[in-house]
Amino acid sequence: MSNSSTKSSTFFPEPRILPGGEKEFMMDVATSDLEISMGPQHPATHGVMKILIRADGEMVTAAQPHLGFLHRCAEKIGENVEWLQYLPYTDRYDYLASMNNNLGYSMAVEKLLGCEIPRRAQMLRTICVELNRIASALVAFGTYGLDLGAFTPFLYAFREREWLLQIFEKICGARLTYSYLRIGGVFNDAPPGWLTEVGHFCDVFEVKAQEYYDLLMVNKVFVMRTANVGVITPAQALDFGLTGPMLRGSGIDFDLRKDMPYMLYGEAWDAGAFEIPVGRGEMGTLGDCWDRIYVRVKEMTESLGIVRWCLANIEEGPVLADVGKTIKVPPGEAYVGIENPRGELGHYLVSDGGKGSSRCRVRGPSFCNLAILEDIMPGTLLADAVAIIGSTDVVIGETDR
Amino acid sequence: MDFQGIYDRLKEQGAAGMQEANLPRLPDPADKKDKGRGGDPYVLVDPAQICAFMDLAKKDERLHFEILADLSASDPAVDAENFWVIYQLLSVKHRHRLMVKCSIPKSDPRIDTISGINRAAGWHERECSEMFGITFNGHPDPRNILLPDDWVGFPLRKDYEFPKEYQGISCI
Repeated sequence: MSNSSTKSSTFFPEPRILPGGEKEFMMDVATSDLEISMGPQHPATHGVMKILIRADGEMVTAAQPHLGFLHRCAEKIGENVEWLQYLPYTDRYDYLASMNNNLGYSMAVEKLLGCEIPRRAQMLRTICVELNRIASALVAFGTYGLDLGAFTPFLYAFREREWLLQIFEKICGARLTYSYLRIGGVFNDAPPGWLTEVGHFCDVFEVKAQEYYDLLMVNKVFVMRTANVGVITPAQALDFGLTGPMLRGSGIDFDLRKDMPYMLYGEAWDAGAFEIPVGRGEMGTLGDCWDRIYVRVKEMTESLGIVRWCLANIEEGPVLADVGKTIKVPPGEAYVGIENPRGELGHYLVSDGGKGSSRCRVRGPSFCNLAILEDIMPGTLLADAVAIIGSTDVVIGETDR
Repeated sequence: MDFQGIYDRLKEQGAAGMQEANLPRLPDPADKKDKGRGGDPYVLVDPAQICAFMDLAKKDERLHFEILADLSASDPAVDAENFWVIYQLLSVKHRHRLMVKCSIPKSDPRIDTISGINRAAGWHERECSEMFGITFNGHPDPRNILLPDDWVGFPLRKDYEFPKEYQGISCI
């Protein structure tokens, strides 16, 4: 064994001499990239989605989302049912914001019909949509904390969401899939005392929203996990067609409610009822995960402003326009995009004058927002993968439809 | 800008392949069967020149359509020979929209990809291609996105027949 010190083995090659004179020992082991299949049932993917990650040690070198596990043929169904029958299916794209989905579809059909919506109905619509936006942001905020190991904010968020769901239950009887916003208005008027309770909720929630901000957003561990992670530059955001908080998180001040106002948002904006929070790179780089979640948390307070404005200006009146029992839609085609909690929900409807639509295309914001993962994930650490996926805030019901 | 302004600007800039504008109209009172056309106006573009058109729409200073909001297709009942490919453009800077439509023959449904101009098109084109069987020439990643790889047929075509079974599982 006398010559063992001079001969190098396969495992221990000749040591390199470091500048300080020390010997550096390395094992000669072949390394290869590791493919990790995250999902379809990974808790951090918020539903049934698979992300195939290729990792070189701790580094992600490629990521590829695989969708379609929750594909329910919504667009094909839309061609086979009548106009009003399709409404319950819209509840099921983004099941955390069903009121918004109802609104998007109803507005597209109303555009083809060219009908006027009574003012009280528009007020009730706005209140419901904004409350639903808060409920949706609460889930986004709570589960994002959960992804990063903060359990408490999740429980707090669900406490307030429970109250909101009870408020929705009082007005339409359902807790998740409402079908309350109909073509031509809303299904029924608010029950007695409902508006007072909404006002009460606003007063209580305003304090809570600040609490959430203090609890999670400025938490040192949370900031370290999210700041400078998963940066999306403004140019990238526009190129990938991101909308909603993903776009505003990258510092682009664009919200359909302000910039291309529909319903009563133009009036509310003129009255100064709300502002549009935009990411500014406060904790790190502009367009990082922290900015995106910051926009979502701040939006909750702005939605309260819109609800309050509606409560102050609501008048008595009819809540459903006369569109007839079987809706007859003239031929034509229309595209309506509205601001959903996750971005622009677009409906492209084609009517050939029949009982239902001839083409019912749904542009789900989560679908478009998810596409950017392929671009921003390579080069990040594996430990940040969950933080980045969570910050896109996808709802799989909407990506797959 | 409103639709007319956008259309005039496109004309002024000599947009490649732009054919005509289609506007909504009220029903003709003389013709009782005529129901008019509701909804949104759009421009019809020659599919062979869609890339040049999109490039101009994105780069022109006064149009500035930097976001491709949606890309989809349709198997229209009114036009049995063709598929429509529909693009929804959105300008964040000028806050206006434009609907662009291309009509491609069903016998040979192919059109150039615009994912080189707007990367948002990448996933939309994949979905469109699996649902309608439209080929996007030059697409960097032409796999299925929502459907399984071995799915037979194109579900959103009007003549699609629902399969009786899939991998031994009855669908009826």
